[in-house]
Amino acid sequence: MKILVTGANGFLGRHVVSAALARGLEVRILVRPAAALERLPWAGSVDVFRADLRSASNLAQAFDGVDVLVHLAAAVSGGEDAQFAATVVGTERLLDAMSRTPCRRVVLASSFSVYDWSAIRGTLTEDSPLESPPDLYRRDGYSIAKSWQERVTREYAAKFGWALTVLRPGFIWGRDHAYLAALGQQVGPVHFVIGPMTHIPMTHVENCADLFVVAAMDPRAEGQTFNVVDGPGERIWSFLGNYITGMRERGWRIPVPYTLAYGLVKLGYETVFRRNDKLPQILIPMRFESRLKPLKYTYERANRVLGWTPPLSFEQTLDRTFGPTTV
Amino acid sequence: MVAEGVSGTLARAVLIGAGQIARQHLGCLESIPGVEIAAVCDLSPSVARAAAERHRAKTWFTDYKLMLAEVRPDVVHVTTPPTSHFRLAMDSLAMDAHVIVEKPATITLAEVEQLLARASDRRRMLLEDYNYLYSAATLEIRRLIESGELGAVVHVDVAICLNILGPEGFADPNSPHPCLTMAGGAIADFLPHLASLAHCFIGPHVRAEAIWRKRSNTILPYDEFRAMVDGERATASLSFSSAAQPDAFWLRVYGERVLASANLFEKRFTTERLRPGPKPLQPLRNGLEEGRAIRNAAVGTLWRKFRGGPGSYDGLYELLRRTYRALGTTEAMPVSAQQVLEVNRLVDALKPVRQA
Repeated sequence: MKILVTGANGFLGRHVVSAALARGLEVRILVRPAAALERLPWAGSVDVFRADLRSASNLAQAFDGVDVLVHLAAAVSGGEDAQFAATVVGTERLLDAMSRTPCRRVVLASSFSVYDWSAIRGTLTEDSPLESPPDLYRRDGYSIAKSWQERVTREYAAKFGWALTVLRPGFIWGRDHAYLAALGQQVGPVHFVIGPMTHIPMTHVENCADLFVVAAMDPRAEGQTFNVVDGPGERIWSFLGNYITGMRERGWRIPVPYTLAYGLVKLGYETVFRRNDKLPQILIPMRFESRLKPLKYTYERANRVLGWTPPLSFEQTLDRTFGPTTV
Repeated sequence: MVAEGVSGTLARAVLIGAGQIARQHLGCLESIPGVEIAAVCDLSPSVARAAAERHRAKTWFTDYKLMLAEVRPDVVHVTTPPTSHFRLAMDSLAMDAHVIVEKPATITLAEVEQLLARASDRRRMLLEDYNYLYSAATLEIRRLIESGELGAVVHVDVAICLNILGPEGFADPNSPHPCLTMAGGAIADFLPHLASLAHCFIGPHVRAEAIWRKRSNTILPYDEFRAMVDGERATASLSFSSAAQPDAFWLRVYGERVLASANLFEKRFTTERLRPGPKPLQPLRNGLEEGRAIRNAAVGTLWRKFRGGPGSYDGLYELLRRTYRALGTTEAMPVSAQQVLEVNRLVDALKPVRQA
């Protein structure tokens, strides 16, 4: 089986390629023209196709001999319009090119950010409501782009009869990516931990990458949507402790009750700030909830449909993240 | 304020190009009573749909000719990359629509002249976006001039310091920005701002000398620009720097009695002036007043961010409000055809003779 991986030199992409090669798959990566690959351990083991999804005219050639598209490319920084162009317009152009090829299988990296966090109570599942207009446009640029990316991909899949699998990871973490937005607000060495007992929807990058490869290979994943978490998630307070210890930083944790913090944010947003959506993320109630709302998480569907469990335990992932570097 | 009179009832506006600057136009149009966003158009269906959904446009298109034919708009906003402006504006004028085109209006002066001639033939308005002419600080300087407080303008200094060297945007090595094909590259995108402000205070140019430099290792053909302009009423110095930081847009107008300074990216506006009383006390009084104005502006700029609104695009909002009001009445347009022509003549005179 040959897979085409977009965003292959990103944080998740690097591990997806490693996992795919480890399972014996043939891999072609699609990366931007100026992407540096020299230091990636698998650089010599993959077929490289260089193109920018926003502008390249030869994207269909990337699909030559490809059985499955694993589409991870998305902008994680930049302005809202730049993120939309890179994530959504790029996807639109990529899928347009794919429609002119025999490839009929897509695995898409979506995100927990597509959910309507204000509406969800209890356990967040794949059937939880998604954010929709007009409220969608009060969310951050990343959430808007990821929502549209999933929407566009589903439309293409329906139009051309493709087998689509959508994976929605929570916070993806690992070495050099361990400080999560869910950890609250840091001011110098002081961490204000909002809702210290809240569980974090987290997935270690190697576990997450494993599910992507399983989903690409297993026909039972076709037509399915899976949330990607490693379990119920660590509590913010304890994981922040792991982080501070692991990074050998000096830091102090100050607990702030979630309800109190949310109430203040909501009050300020409605009164003083007059529903201004250009405020810092944490001062906008919808975005505050999407980072910090206390919910429960599970990988029950991936386990039930695919028999998947995260290959690494939490202790192993801590070691992979904060322990000595291994080649 | 209702923009009636364009078609008897409502002004029906459409946009061609639904990217970053279009969002500012759309946000403004939503705030003008009597203006209906009839459609948006973009080559990307997702971009067009998202813009229409977000700003409650009636419909969306990916084919602008189809949109012009089906919607028959009163006003077309051309907010695509500059290399496409000429064709889109010409076709919009051909459909008897007024045209508001983002800066730079075209790639060449000859194209602007053709557009203005077409607009004149069709008795339609062609307006290039000189939004900083309508920023609050610029309007205050103009008021100081009109009231006689500032005295005659002697010199104007307009300086943009903006880091455009990052890997995203103009200097993106993966997907070259359309502006890089223009003479002057990315800086050409800012020349209309510099030229329109200079023109506003010194009148049409008589001669101009420019220096273009490249000091960074990026794909930009130039990243530094300086110019001296001799105008009919005064002189101007213009500059753009990618290296000088922090980001700012300085406008300084030197009058016979007052020096007015503004950072158009923020709310900072200060004056130094001749004052009655002992001369040795003038620096003290000016300094105290300037200090107070800077402190108030710093707080005001932060507060503006927290309270939302157009921010540094306040001039665009004011320009568009005035434009739609003028369309429905006999008021003069905030930017005249003659002004567009003269500003573009200056822009043309400032461009590098050869691309780097």
